[in-house]
Amino acid sequence: MTDTVKVQGNRESLIAPEGVDAGHQNEALVGPADGKSPEKVATVSYVSSSSAKGTFDIEALVGYILLVGVLTSMALIMSGLVWHWLRTGEIGIRYSISGMNFFEFLLKGLGQVFADQYRPRVLVSLGIAMLMLTPFVRVLASMLYFLFAARNWKYAVFTAFVLTILTYSLFLR
Amino acid sequence: MQAIWLFLVSILAGFVGAMSGMGGGVVLIPALTLLGVDIKQAIAISIVSVIATSSGSASAYVRDHITNLKIGMFLEMFTILGALTGAAITLIAGQRVLFVAFGLVLLASWGALFLQRHEGWQPIAHQDRVSRWLELEGSYYDQATSQTIAYQGGRAYLGGPLMFGAGLIAGLLGIGAGALKVLIHDLVMGLPPKVSTTTSNLIIGVTALAGSSVYLAAGMINPGLAAPVILGIVSGAFIGTRVLVRLTNETVRRFFMVVLLVLGAQMLLRGILR
Repeated sequence: MTDTVKVQGNRESLIAPEGVDAGHQNEALVGPADGKSPEKVATVSYVSSSSAKGTFDIEALVGYILLVGVLTSMALIMSGLVWHWLRTGEIGIRYSISGMNFFEFLLKGLGQVFADQYRPRVLVSLGIAMLMLTPFVRVLASMLYFLFAARNWKYAVFTAFVLTILTYSLFLR
Repeated sequence: MQAIWLFLVSILAGFVGAMSGMGGGVVLIPALTLLGVDIKQAIAISIVSVIATSSGSASAYVRDHITNLKIGMFLEMFTILGALTGAAITLIAGQRVLFVAFGLVLLASWGALFLQRHEGWQPIAHQDRVSRWLELEGSYYDQATSQTIAYQGGRAYLGGPLMFGAGLIAGLLGIGAGALKVLIHDLVMGLPPKVSTTTSNLIIGVTALAGSSVYLAAGMINPGLAAPVILGIVSGAFIGTRVLVRLTNETVRRFFMVVLLVLGAQMLLRGILR
């Protein structure tokens, strides 16, 4: 029965989730499709993961961090390319970045903005930096949540581990 | 390289990737190499664009409380280490090895799709001690059935190390490797399909970031090439998601199987004949 129901997630996604193969799509979006009625496999004892630990909705925060991060990044990259095109008539921009770690790359871009050295390539660089910063900020927010809101030390340590490795990798040069 | 071509090819890759659910990387990288982009640079650009597509799709599912943050965080510990290792291997690997590895992964995905059986979700009967300690459980509201589905994850001791492998492939080849992650969630950890796919998507973003950082440090992320690719792949994925509902699953599956077979075979041959 569940196979025939075509339903999206509660909210429409910007992009379909990766890993949902074509044949799996409805199944994935619909839930259990083993022929049993959902009641047989589900326990109706829903406790929202957010409401279980106070009222702070970490999932909403993480969702908005991802959405805002990606949209801002796209807007910056597109503005940079359009600006370059209007200025030079060229579609596409040519420059390379090397010998820099992520934070140097980010700070260089921000420094140019604060020094009023707006150039198309600064916007493109900031767009790429913003994109890379998005999952990083998401992990940082999760760590603060597990540390201060949920007070779940186990997961605070796990997220701290992920954040440490990511920070280390972003310092690579 | 004309930016407009990169943009168009990326739209196509994002479109096919979203429709098939395999992500854009599997189409993007072979296409970029056919346009004359060095395979290592194609891998580096692809993995940055993976951050965009995975985060874009993850955002809505996280807000809907379908994604399991805890399971995601636990598994990310393994995938990021895998991605760092994979990206480091790519930097020193020969071009031929990468072509062959990419071809093999595509053909393996084809095989998985070919042999795919549509079995329903089997909830795990007894949660093992490690998974219980890791609090791998959750519930989500399924709007389709108006039911709240409660579930538990199991075999974390196996799922974790296997996710290192998934991260390794992601970092090595610049793809999300979402299908492999979903397979581990489904078959090893017993997660419901919806939770499995959406949690995998969340993990892909962080995994891709770890891989990207290695390529950025190596100076392999060329912003001039990356910019049109990122914009193209996100636009293509956006369009693909909208079209998805209008095509039957079987049509998409057959089309994508042909795409996988052709791309896989040509990458493998280009690697062998190099």
